[in-house]
Order: sequence, then structure tokens, then C-alpha cells
Amino acid sequence: MAHDGGRGTQGRGRAVTDHDDVRDLLAAWAFGALEPAEERLVPPHLAECESCATEAERLRATVRLLDGPPLAEPPSPLDTLLTGALRVRPAPPRVARHAAPYAAAVAGLEALLPELAGRWSTPVVHDWDVHATVAHLLAADEHLALRLGIDARVPGARIDEDADWADAWERRTAEVIAHEHGRTPEETVAAWSAQAAALLGTPYARDPELAAGTTLLMGLRLPVTAHFLARAFEAWIHTDDIGRALGLAVPPPPEEHLGQLVGLAVRVLGTVLGAEAPPVLFAVRGGEEWVLGSHSDPVAAELTLDAVDFCLLVGGRYAPDTVPRDSTGDAAAVRNVLERAASLSWL
Amino acid sequence: MESTDGTTSVQRPADAELHRRLVYGDESALAEAYGAYGGLVQAVAVRVTRSRAAAEDVAQEVFAQLWSRPYAFDARRGSLRTWLSLLAHRRAVDWVRGEARHRKDARADDLALYGIPDASPGPAEAVVDRERALLLHTALAELPQPQREVVHLAYFAGRTYRQAAVELGIPEGTAKTRLRTALRALAETLADPPDPAWEDGA
Repeated sequence: MAHDGGRGTQGRGRAVTDHDDVRDLLAAWAFGALEPAEERLVPPHLAECESCATEAERLRATVRLLDGPPLAEPPSPLDTLLTGALRVRPAPPRVARHAAPYAAAVAGLEALLPELAGRWSTPVVHDWDVHATVAHLLAADEHLALRLGIDARVPGARIDEDADWADAWERRTAEVIAHEHGRTPEETVAAWSAQAAALLGTPYARDPELAAGTTLLMGLRLPVTAHFLARAFEAWIHTDDIGRALGLAVPPPPEEHLGQLVGLAVRVLGTVLGAEAPPVLFAVRGGEEWVLGSHSDPVAAELTLDAVDFCLLVGGRYAPDTVPRDSTGDAAAVRNVLERAASLSWL
Repeated sequence: MESTDGTTSVQRPADAELHRRLVYGDESALAEAYGAYGGLVQAVAVRVTRSRAAAEDVAQEVFAQLWSRPYAFDARRGSLRTWLSLLAHRRAVDWVRGEARHRKDARADDLALYGIPDASPGPAEAVVDRERALLLHTALAELPQPQREVVHLAYFAGRTYRQAAVELGIPEGTAKTRLRTALRALAETLADPPDPAWEDGA
């Protein structure tokens, strides 16, 4: 029997199809969720089909009760609504551009905290659980805090200009993690959060000229602005680590901040590669491009990465062999750049 | 993007971008979310609570929740619209049940102190309707999530069942069936209420 799929004008067969079709639409009809063309089909069928008419009335009476009596609905004034929300979770402090990524990254970790209840012992990275990861951030941020004149929160902090920075870094992390192990996660979070607020409250977070002065931290002599970006980078990477451990998707930082983080990583990578390396044209997708290595020789290769993937590579969360990339030209030159980038990871 | 449980993942870049800004503390994202969905949230709350003031409180709670616990919303699992609608409904039902308990307690107190029987305002019929409506909204809040989602989009959010199907990434037939199953279950709840306590004092 030919079935043209449309509304034909044949007799009894059509009536049965109509009945099934309309019956399937009755709930949507009762909810007012039909397009006009389908809605038109319903009343004529109800007029000639008692079972559908009964069901339709029953369903519609139910929806009428859901509706409730008509009430005009002026919306809440926006400002009271926002004020209420901000009382529960304050907005990040307003800071200069170079400190905004850190302010946002701190907010991003704080936003994750409500999801951590009862999960503080989940393994995250290295041999740290969630609690230890936050304790690590407390230790990691402390170096800049001390340099900017903020008192340490955990006993035993020292500024030792002569020590190998990597040793000092690891030693201090281990000390702070051990110390915080004897306290509750909430106390560790409070200490980290207070230290972060103190960093963002210094003139260095608000005054770009003041923060333009350089200081030696983590083996790098860079402006304080760059050290704030390094804090942001670290906070984000570890928040991402925690998120992955808990099965939560941590979004990447806002584009503007991501751009600043990439800029810092490229700057450091360029320095580490040096002026003799075979030049590679390096680009992040949707962003800028740079020549890494020698500027006096023709470019030997081109390499493109996503901004987030590049940051994860520099942060030690991607291996140079497996990070997604597009490249052309001298494979050795490309590999050199990727391996140097991965070697930057201190996290 | 890998899907976690084999279901179709519908791309929602606008929701993902809004979520990103909320996570990183951008208040303008909260204002935008309110602009886009504040009306829906209040409409849902008003239908359930039948009170403008209560609906405002519910809206306040819902958006404070979105702002202070952004990770409670997962952009991979559904739209922000659906999530806010479901949350508003749940909070509104909680509010009404709280009110019903207070009213019951107040009536019990009156009866004990003064021997005054039920003195609810308005005609008896309106009281019955209000309690039956609460019954329905409570039952709605307890329907399986897939049915609840279609009902919220098709009813509260004013979508056609076809639009709801697209937004949820399901076939149109499935959307129709879920609406039918849901509404029939709700109608059944009225015919056969689950809690005998609903019959006293009505």
C-alpha cells in the first residue's frame, strides 16, 4: 500500500493514522508545546474521538492546576539580586592588568571548594591529595609573598638567596604540606586564601610601574608583573589537576588572561632556547606568533599549538611527544622547542 | 569532546563561555545569566509558590547558587536554561512545603489555644486547588530527570516539543513520549494521591 508520508485523502486508513498521531500529541498539546500546524490537528479529532477527548480534558485539567492563578511577574531588581549573590561569594578584588589573572585563578579555585567536601583525600598529582595540593599552593605563593613584604603563615619560612632555588622550593613545599597535614583542609584553605588576598592587596598588585621592577625568584630575574603571572599559571594548573581528579571540567582562564600566561611562557622559553637555536616560527591558534631561537637565520620550521595545550605542556601536564600540534619543516628543530618547553615545568 | 556516558553531546558554546566567566569571578556574567534566564526562573517560581515575594526570594537563591557554586552546573550535561528551571522549581516546592508546614502548625496552635477550626483565607475551592497544585509540583520534582527536562523546556520555558528535542539532543518522538508519560503520571497523582496526610484539613 503506497504511503506518501504526507496527509493524503484516502479513507479509513488515514483515520487510524490520525488517531495514533493525535493521541501522541495530546500531552504536548496540553502543555501548549505544539506549533500551529500540529495544534490545528487536535480539536477536529477530539470532536470525533471520545477516548482522546477524555484524555485531553484530563491532561489539560492537570496543566491548569500546574499553571496556578494568573499573577503579574515583575522581575526582581537586578541590583538587589546581584548584591545578595556577591554577599555569598565576593567578586575578586580589582587589581592591575598583570595581577588580574592571579585574582581570577584564585577565584577559580575558590569556586571549586564547595565540590571538595568529603573528597579532600582524593589523589591528585605527584603523591599529593587535594589537601596537600592546596598546601603546596600555600608554599608556592609564599616565595613571592615574602619578597613583597608579607609575613609567612607557616613557621619556618626563610629567604635564602644562595640556596639552589629548586631545592628550596621542594623543601618548603614538603614542610608546609607536613605542617598542614596536622590541620583541617578548611584551615589550609583559609591560610592559602588569606595569603592570596594579601598578595592581591599589595601596591604591587595595583601599580604597574611599581611592579615593573625585577626580582629574582625561582631562578628567574623577571619583573614582579611576570611573577604574578607565574602565580596565576600555577594556581590554574593545580586547580585543573584537582578538577581532573574529581571528574570536574575546569574551564581554561578567560582569553585575555590566557594570552598573558602564554606571553610569559614564550618569553621564558625564548630565553631558555637562546639565540643560537634553529629558529622556529611558533604560533598559538587564534593568537600571536613568535620566532623562537636565532633571529638571523631563516625559519627552519613552523609549530602551532592551542593556547591551553601549550600551557599544559609548559606546566608539565603534556609530554612533548604527545601534545597535539601542527608542524612543518625541520622535525628536530620542532622537537627541540617542545622539549625545552616541557623542561620549564616546575609544577 | 568525549561524551561520558554514550549520550549525544549537544554543543552549547554560549553556556560553556558563560560558565567559564562565572568560575573566574566575572560578575558581568552573572548579570548576563540573570538577563537571559531571570524571567524564566521567576515564572517557574510564581507558578509553584503563587506569591510574587516568594518568587523573588527563590530567584535570589537560584542566582546566588549559580554564582557561588558554578561547578554544580556542568555544561556537558545539559543547558543552563534547563538547569536553572529545574533548580528554581525545586526551591519553589521547598518553599511551599515549608509554608504548608507553618500553616499547619499555626492552625494546630490556634485549635489547641482557642478551639478555632481551620480559618484559611479564600474560598474552600481555592484551598483545595492550592494543595492539589503542590501535590502536582512535588510529583513533578520527583519525576525522572529525562522527563523533567522535557517538561521544563516544553512547559515552563515555552518551547515546542520539537525545539525541546533539539535542545536536549533527543529524537522528536522521544520528546513527545516523555511529555506524555510525565503528564499522565502527574494526572495519576491527583487521582491517587501518595500521602494520606493530604486529605486532612482540606
